[in-house]
Formats: sequence, structure tokens, C-alpha cells
Amino acid sequence: MSAPVRSPETTRPETPAAKAAAAAALDAAAGRRGALAAMLAVVFPGLGHLYLGRKARAALFAAIVLVAVVIGAKLDGNLYTPLQGHPLTYLATLGSMGMGLPYFLLLYPLHYAGDVTAQGYDYGTAFLLSAGLMNLLLVLDAWDVGTGRKE
Amino acid sequence: MSHFLLMVVYALLLSVFFAALWRRNRREQVVLFLQLFVGMVGGGLLVAWLMYPFPSGPPAPIP
Repeated sequence: MSAPVRSPETTRPETPAAKAAAAAALDAAAGRRGALAAMLAVVFPGLGHLYLGRKARAALFAAIVLVAVVIGAKLDGNLYTPLQGHPLTYLATLGSMGMGLPYFLLLYPLHYAGDVTAQGYDYGTAFLLSAGLMNLLLVLDAWDVGTGRKE
Repeated sequence: MSHFLLMVVYALLLSVFFAALWRRNRREQVVLFLQLFVGMVGGGLLVAWLMYPFPSGPPAPIP
């Protein structure tokens, strides 16, 4: 007599302990995927979504953040750095650093410094800060998508 | 660049961003985009209109 064919349902772990172990393994894998996606999103806008296979969304998000950075820099806006005695600049720096690699590219190789006398200084600052904050939201979104909390 | 054009570009970028981030369905994305875009540009114009009677005063000193 031949062995009965096992359907996928019958090969699933049946005991509660085996089910819990399988769920924990799945959670751990999703957690690692989400963490890696979030880390990639911190490095460069859209990279986290690209890693998760959301190519169109990754391209759109990268384009939006980079356009905001370019417009902000063209308008000579302020790229925040910490100033002693001005606690709010620490928060603004964290927000601006959210754009990832572009922040450090502007600051170090390009030696970018905004021009406070420029006509578009305030607008440029708003664009640069918004670019960083938008990418911070992308990091959270990449985390949610990677862990399966979101589509 | 004019102030109005910059405001429109800023509103456009943010509206597209949040529509793509917060909605997955195409129709819902378009609706949210329009709500955000019209809200930001219309709100900006409304605030500008409300401030119109107030004198702007001398320009602030450059720090």
C-alpha cells in the first residue's frame, strides 16, 4: 500500500508549540526584512522601497525628495547643522539629515552653505527641511511594508 | 522664481508625496492629491488675502 499524498495543509505544523515556533520564525524574518528596508531608506531616498520590490513607488519617492533637495539648494536655503546655544537647530539638523546621503554630499564634498541674503533663502530652507522630513516618513513606510503591516 | 510659483511647486511635491504614501488605490490617490493641493494653495491664497490690509512694515534686518 502506497503512502498517502500529503497536501500542504497536512504538512503544516499541527501542535501549538510548532505553530508558535513557525510564527516566531516568520516574524523574525519579516522583522529583519523591515529593518534592512528601513536602513536602506535612511541611506538614500527610495532605496528601501526598491529593496522591497516597489520599483515605481521607489522611483517616485526618490524623484520627489531629490527635486526638493535640488530646488532648496538652488534657492540657497539653509542646510541645518547644530549650533551651540540654539537647541532647535539640533532638531532641525536631525530633520534635514533624514534625507540621507544627499545631506552629507551637500555638506562635505560640495561644501554647501546657504546664503542668508539670498532672495529665496526661506523657501529654500523649507524645501531642504521638507526633503529630510519626507524621507523620514519613507523610512517608517519601508519598515511597515517590510514587516508586512502595510501593502 | 515668484513666491506664488514656489508655493505651487512646494504644494505639488508634498501633495504627490502624501497621496502616494498614504493611499494605494489610484482613485483614492487622485482624490487625496486634489484635496491636499487645493487645500495648500487655496489656504495660502486665503491667508494672503486676509493679511492684505495689514501693512508689511520695514524689512527685517539681516542677522
